[in-house]
Amino acid sequence: MRRDWSRITSVVLAAVAIAVAAPWLWHKYQTRPDWFDPIARYILHTGLKNTVRMAAFAVVGSTAVGIVLGTLLTVRFWPSRALIRLYIEVWRGLPIIVTIFLVYFALPRAVHAGWTSLDAFQAATVGLILWGSAQVAEATRGAVQSIPREQHEAASALGFGWIGRHAFIVLPQALRRLLPPLIGLLANVIQNTTIAGIIGVGESLETGNRSIERLTFSTGSPQAFTIYVGVMVVFFAISFPLTRLAAFLEKRLI
Amino acid sequence: MTLLASFDWAVIWDNRDALAKGLELTLEVSAIGIAGSTAVGLVLGAARAHRIPIVSQLAAVYVEVIRNTPILVQIFLLYYGLPTLSHHLLFTQFRTAWLAVTIWGGAFNTENFRAGFEAVPFRYREAGLALGFSRPGTFLRVTLPIGGRIALPSTINTYVSVLKNTSLMTAIGFPELTNVSRSIAAATFRDVEMLSTAAVVYLTLVWTLSGLVRVLERHLALPEEAR
Repeated sequence: MRRDWSRITSVVLAAVAIAVAAPWLWHKYQTRPDWFDPIARYILHTGLKNTVRMAAFAVVGSTAVGIVLGTLLTVRFWPSRALIRLYIEVWRGLPIIVTIFLVYFALPRAVHAGWTSLDAFQAATVGLILWGSAQVAEATRGAVQSIPREQHEAASALGFGWIGRHAFIVLPQALRRLLPPLIGLLANVIQNTTIAGIIGVGESLETGNRSIERLTFSTGSPQAFTIYVGVMVVFFAISFPLTRLAAFLEKRLI
Repeated sequence: MTLLASFDWAVIWDNRDALAKGLELTLEVSAIGIAGSTAVGLVLGAARAHRIPIVSQLAAVYVEVIRNTPILVQIFLLYYGLPTLSHHLLFTQFRTAWLAVTIWGGAFNTENFRAGFEAVPFRYREAGLALGFSRPGTFLRVTLPIGGRIALPSTINTYVSVLKNTSLMTAIGFPELTNVSRSIAAATFRDVEMLSTAAVVYLTLVWTLSGLVRVLERHLALPEEAR
């Protein structure tokens, strides 16, 4: 009974909030100042495009590296296990900004080679992949170990080798369990691309920062509050459906 | 090998005071953030678990907004955004730093504690009430000790994240560990030395904190789950 009341309260509150906010927001949009359109276009066309591009590279890279490392972690051979453990604990333990700084500033000084001097976009993407692959590896280990032993044995009996067994039998089944954390990772990666702004990548937040600077110089009023709230709304609109989907799948798939 | 040979240990030693000061600020902000996020999480988590009307719904909105927006935007909104509304809201870097991690950690802890409190079987609460405890009494003596332990592992993860997130205060120029090591690196061109020092310090802190948890977890394990 209590549960129903809390549902009803939520619905009523949401309805009241929408009824009050929607007309007000519409009015605000109709009477928007001149600076609004060009800045919205800049943040959405340049910033959001870079955010999505970086997030796509980072998620694909993290998933590929993470699934391989996570599967190898289930192999009972202690040197490889120890190495992968170290990889996971280091890149999960470091703040992402420190990882990105290491890749962007320290790596080219430590190793003098062409491939080590990455531009800001590449360095931030590599930093996010190091962090993300550690997350995926840990999740993959759990997902692979959740597949019953009989599946491995049956695959071996059918003549599959280690690689074939994992690629065709175990991982496809583990993927079911892996899907919710992967979607959660996507939401987190999208949020963490903002850290790339610190080393100068023009992603959503950084384009917002630049717009605020421009406005301060040109009009004297930075509009920082409005612009940051706008950036928050953009991220919320992307991230909220993803985290809901992840929670839903977690309930349904397992 | 050339890397090890050219590694300049002296630059770390020469800047030990600045690094120590940065570490101190990192730890200070983390400590306030951990304490603050626990307080916020306990209160709002209890409100969520007991479905207290309006407070529960507002807490849900707070949690979803914080969890689904980047913390860096939250930091900028606090530091650069709020003062454009009113000059009373012009915060120092230090206050912005601890406020940001408290608000962020508080949202995650609300969810952690909510899950913990909701995992306490309803019959335990009924038993508490039947024994004559008041509702607050039942919460403090039954739901909190059991639910708090259930929530412990996930709250520690949040504390580790709070510690790691203090590094983002670099973006507003707050001189914590990451910022200090980065500025020394920029002045001395010793990026490898300074950043690996910061990395080693962070890993030591994070690994100690999560190791502490494993000890604490075993110590506080519920009797029926103890090994």
